[in-house]
Amino acid sequence: MSRSERLYFIADFNVETLARYVANTTLADAETALAPPGPIMPALAAGPPGPDWSAVVWTRPETTIEAFRRALTCHEIDLDRALDEVRAYAAAIAQFAARARSVFVPIWVSPPFERGLGMLDYRPGIGQAQLLARMNLALADALRNHPSVFVLDAGRWFASAGSRGWSQKLWYATKSPFTSAVIEHAASDIGAALDGIAGRARRLVMLDLDNVLWGGVVGEVGWTGITLGGHDHVGEAFADFQRALKTLAARGVQLALVSRNDEATALEAIDRHPEMQLRRGDFAGWRINWEDKARNIADLLAELNLGSESAVFVDDSAIERARVRSAIPDVLVPEWPEDPARFREALGSLRCFDSPFLTGEDRTRTTMFAAERSRRSGLVAVASVEEWLESLDIRVTVEPLADGNLDRAAQLFNKTNQMNLATRRLSKPELEVWAAAPEHCLLTFRVCDRFGDSGLTGIVGLRFEGSEAHLVDFLLSCRVMGRHVEEAMLHVAVAQCRARRASTLRAEFRPTARNNPCLDFLRRSGLRAAAAAAENVFIWNASQPYERPRSVTVLDQTGVATALDP
Amino acid sequence: MMDHDEALRIVYDAIDVVNRQLPASKRLHKSPDTVIVGAGGSLDSLGIVTFVILLEEKVGEAFGTTVQLLDEQMLVEDSPFQSIGALTHYIATRAM
Repeated sequence: MSRSERLYFIADFNVETLARYVANTTLADAETALAPPGPIMPALAAGPPGPDWSAVVWTRPETTIEAFRRALTCHEIDLDRALDEVRAYAAAIAQFAARARSVFVPIWVSPPFERGLGMLDYRPGIGQAQLLARMNLALADALRNHPSVFVLDAGRWFASAGSRGWSQKLWYATKSPFTSAVIEHAASDIGAALDGIAGRARRLVMLDLDNVLWGGVVGEVGWTGITLGGHDHVGEAFADFQRALKTLAARGVQLALVSRNDEATALEAIDRHPEMQLRRGDFAGWRINWEDKARNIADLLAELNLGSESAVFVDDSAIERARVRSAIPDVLVPEWPEDPARFREALGSLRCFDSPFLTGEDRTRTTMFAAERSRRSGLVAVASVEEWLESLDIRVTVEPLADGNLDRAAQLFNKTNQMNLATRRLSKPELEVWAAAPEHCLLTFRVCDRFGDSGLTGIVGLRFEGSEAHLVDFLLSCRVMGRHVEEAMLHVAVAQCRARRASTLRAEFRPTARNNPCLDFLRRSGLRAAAAAAENVFIWNASQPYERPRSVTVLDQTGVATALDP
Repeated sequence: MMDHDEALRIVYDAIDVVNRQLPASKRLHKSPDTVIVGAGGSLDSLGIVTFVILLEEKVGEAFGTTVQLLDEQMLVEDSPFQSIGALTHYIATRAM
């Protein structure tokens, strides 16, 4: 569920251009507000306009850290004092962040025309550049345990803007030192961060093969004739692009193939070419045939249980790009350079993959999807779906929310769309606070089977009021939907109700554009609709256990489900 | 003297940048009659200064030299900043 963002700006310069850019281009429905002009620390102490506001806190080092200002005028550098000031500044940001949804803090940057002491500028105890680097590291270190605070690499904005990032004339005229080139990069990164926090990051890159992963048409020249790697600048560019894709996959973004080719010929190239950096196991799925690419993309998304707004499509053909843009507008189809030497840069400049966490599940997602392909091939071989499910040896481990699973739980809260009862979007701190309330119970579910570990993929949130329990959250990753894990989660939820002597479990479905699969599940779950007038409310009489699906083993660290309702 | 089309392209490039900072209802139309400074203009003082300094940079990049457009003459009655057409003519004749 998307929602309009509210973004508050605190800066020691005129930050209005950035606020305008964010509100009118990056996040067109965002509400923005500026802190009153004046010193930074009182603005931080005053807090944001409300708890649902995010904030950008952007300052210049010479006005924030007195020891740095003195260093700029060639006074002796006092590193200890500078770092003490940085930590005090970080503490003020942390206190502010406790009252905000999220906070973005660009690192400090010096103007490119400030050469400091030239060749001595990185010498410890002397150089201003060295001091600034230490200050930025100290700032990031001091804020590392505040999960809603994100220190942004502003240095990249200035590097991208080139020599025109900084304008003294603009500073003298408007009290804003940064040109529109830097402001646009800043706004884009902040927008990408907010998208990531809200679960709107893209999770799948679908790639063409010929002249995208390698040079040439494999169907014509065979796998030995394609241009890839070796002592050739074009071949090196393709190999390097593949390496960049592999790195993206290690962040948790899946890769897939959509190509007009003969499948056997294309897969032979992937399997046998010695310079291929990506092999068959790196792809979550593929459609390599002569069908319409838009149809292939839709099929592949259905197979991977992903929505079109999760996907990026990369193709060298402008016609194919236009076709996919027109047929499936939610798929992001970036313009793509003709020169393979620019492919890596084109991929790196996409800001659609930013996530506020990097979990173990992210790093192993490709492995999990390779296992999923093995499962599906098993489905073809056995007689019925139930037999297939029983053959999987599915084990669901129930754990309460804890430090070790908080990152992944918050990520799941903010990324799950389809099997999601209420689509509440909670940040990590918000989730921790909610789960700690005595009337609440929040359980996480890890799923594994004989093919592999799908990781933490389910969450149940319960609120107890007298004899009634409310199923507040019920969400399950699309990657394990349809394997009776949903029923196992209800089994555990009802067991919790019985343990806390609640007589009724009540689930209210809150519809979004994406969560109809959850409603479908509730309708076939055995829970009864509360009344015709409240068709989205479902009830279970908790005097009765909810039967555990036969194909799923529940390993219950809370001890409730297995003890009460084995 | 700069080619008129080249001057117009530079002005339109600067308008593209400034428009991204404006709500849809206030964006400058790429038309010679569009008012930049004065009655009927949609830029406030921050927008005007941002636009003019941006224009200075772009003209400077095109000609490898610095030009000074931001001055008090911007606000006089027959200022070249009154319309896009007048501004384009001013840049084309002034940039040498």
